[in-house]
Amino acid sequence: MTTARVMVLFLLAAAVALAAAGCSRPASTGPDSMGAGEQTIRQIGSTTMLPLAEKWRSAFNAKHPAVSIAVSGGGSGTGIRALISKTAEIADSSRDIRPEEVQQAQSAGISPVSSAVALDGVAVIVSPANPLKQISMKTLSDIYTGDLTDWGAAGAPGLGAIQLVSRDSASGTFEVFKEKVVTLDGTDKSRDYAPQALKQTSNEAVLTLVGQTKNAIGYVGLGYVNKSVKVLAVAPMKGGASIMPDEATVSDGTYPIARKLYCITNGQPTGVLKEYVDWIKGPEGQEIVKQLGFVPVGQ
Amino acid sequence: MMRRKWEWLIERLIQLAGVLAIVFVVLIFAFLLKDALPTFREHSLRELFAGQRWSPTSEPAKVGMVPLLLGSLYVTFGALVISVPLGLATAVFIAEVAPARLREALKPTVELLAAIPSVVFGFLGLLLVGPLLARWLHLPVAQFAALGSLMLALMAIPTIVSVSEDAIRAVPRALRDSSLALGATHWQTISRVVLPAARSGIVAALLLGFGRAVGETMTVLMVTGNAAVIPMGLRGFWRPVETMTATIAAEMGETAYGTPHYHALFAIGLILFVITFMTSTIADLAIRRTPGAAR
Repeated sequence: MTTARVMVLFLLAAAVALAAAGCSRPASTGPDSMGAGEQTIRQIGSTTMLPLAEKWRSAFNAKHPAVSIAVSGGGSGTGIRALISKTAEIADSSRDIRPEEVQQAQSAGISPVSSAVALDGVAVIVSPANPLKQISMKTLSDIYTGDLTDWGAAGAPGLGAIQLVSRDSASGTFEVFKEKVVTLDGTDKSRDYAPQALKQTSNEAVLTLVGQTKNAIGYVGLGYVNKSVKVLAVAPMKGGASIMPDEATVSDGTYPIARKLYCITNGQPTGVLKEYVDWIKGPEGQEIVKQLGFVPVGQ
Repeated sequence: MMRRKWEWLIERLIQLAGVLAIVFVVLIFAFLLKDALPTFREHSLRELFAGQRWSPTSEPAKVGMVPLLLGSLYVTFGALVISVPLGLATAVFIAEVAPARLREALKPTVELLAAIPSVVFGFLGLLLVGPLLARWLHLPVAQFAALGSLMLALMAIPTIVSVSEDAIRAVPRALRDSSLALGATHWQTISRVVLPAARSGIVAALLLGFGRAVGETMTVLMVTGNAAVIPMGLRGFWRPVETMTATIAAEMGETAYGTPHYHALFAIGLILFVITFMTSTIADLAIRRTPGAAR
């Protein structure tokens, strides 16, 4: 065969292969595809919930091998967008869905229903070299808006300038911290993060940076805290003693920087999706929640 | 008879591929323009290009791109300062000085550098190089512009080496031989005859390296700190900055379609497109002017 013919045949074969791949798509998109044979759940979103989602997936798969669950991160905003564009069945979100997102969902024919699957505290962390043990909400907020720039004014003289570590805006953790701390629990929406806050792309990145930088302060999901950083107790805005984040204080609401973690679905979950979400909320799923340092959602 | 039909078919397919490339570029430009336009309508050019605060989510939205433009500029400039001398020297070495066996080994190795994914460079910078440099140089934080420059330089060097080396090789033997015949040393020949003759190709190489650096996203997102502050003087290299590319990458995930923030990010994208497009065009024109290359 001449090389020209070979090339043309190859191109034709490639075109056919592409078309075939394209044709087999509809079978695996959307909940209406969950027939008897193929069951796929795409779970996308919060990086905070990612370790949870991974463990849920493998534990659930062990019991229900027929169900195929694909888990990925990208941030709460990314997950919600995937739900709206029908490229995910579950959006993991570490924040409430926003009104404009609800609107967008509805105009795309999706009605988002949030199921709370866990509680999470957002821990305020500093380097172990930092002598501070606690901080008031107002001071913390002023630090993050850039009103307070020196550790001396915040109660830890000798450390010099404060190095702010934060998350990127696709993160649910970023949102929650902004709502509860920066805007003082929503009371002053004009307050915003200072521009010199270093935007990191994940909880681990924040952890690493704060652990290695003596004058840094940051925030991470409680489940991520390890020995490389020190957790500060936070005194709520209304006053009173400062509270360390742990299962008890997040559960009963005394720790002020806490949030619900959600699995958002299109409408109330049905079929295999319902089985999965119910399992997550059930004793086995919640045991995994505890194991990973999050707080089980109450009855 | 059959052969002519095949010929015709192949030619049409190749033409199609070429035209498609142009169509894609035009479509991308149109897409960027369409979604960036609302920003240009709502905010004056002064606000965009002289504004010093980038905070599109606050009320009122602040879309000053100066910190981002300077962030990209600092990181890219630093990358060029490192990669241009190194890249050119390597190219000269490979093309003029290295014995054949060393050349065979060196070329693929440099090209291997180009094959490493940018996220790996980001990873190395974040966990290894950054903390090391911060400790040695007593820097306040292990994420800063110069770190981005360093990792970007590693990515730009293969491009610069490749294109420069081609340009140097393209200088006709006759020029070299005449120079040597007139009594010039090897280095005199290289520095005064070969390099000036290869000038346009080398300029093209530098511009392409620049384009590579300015468009890089993942690495700078991980190592430059992403703080949209205006870098000041030389010190600014050793402090966190935020590049245009990292801004888009970090903020796009959270932006709702059609919001002013969304349009502002597209405005940044448009500017990036224009910069890299102009760079590539100038580089292309420069390549065409290489003397000795029959183009």
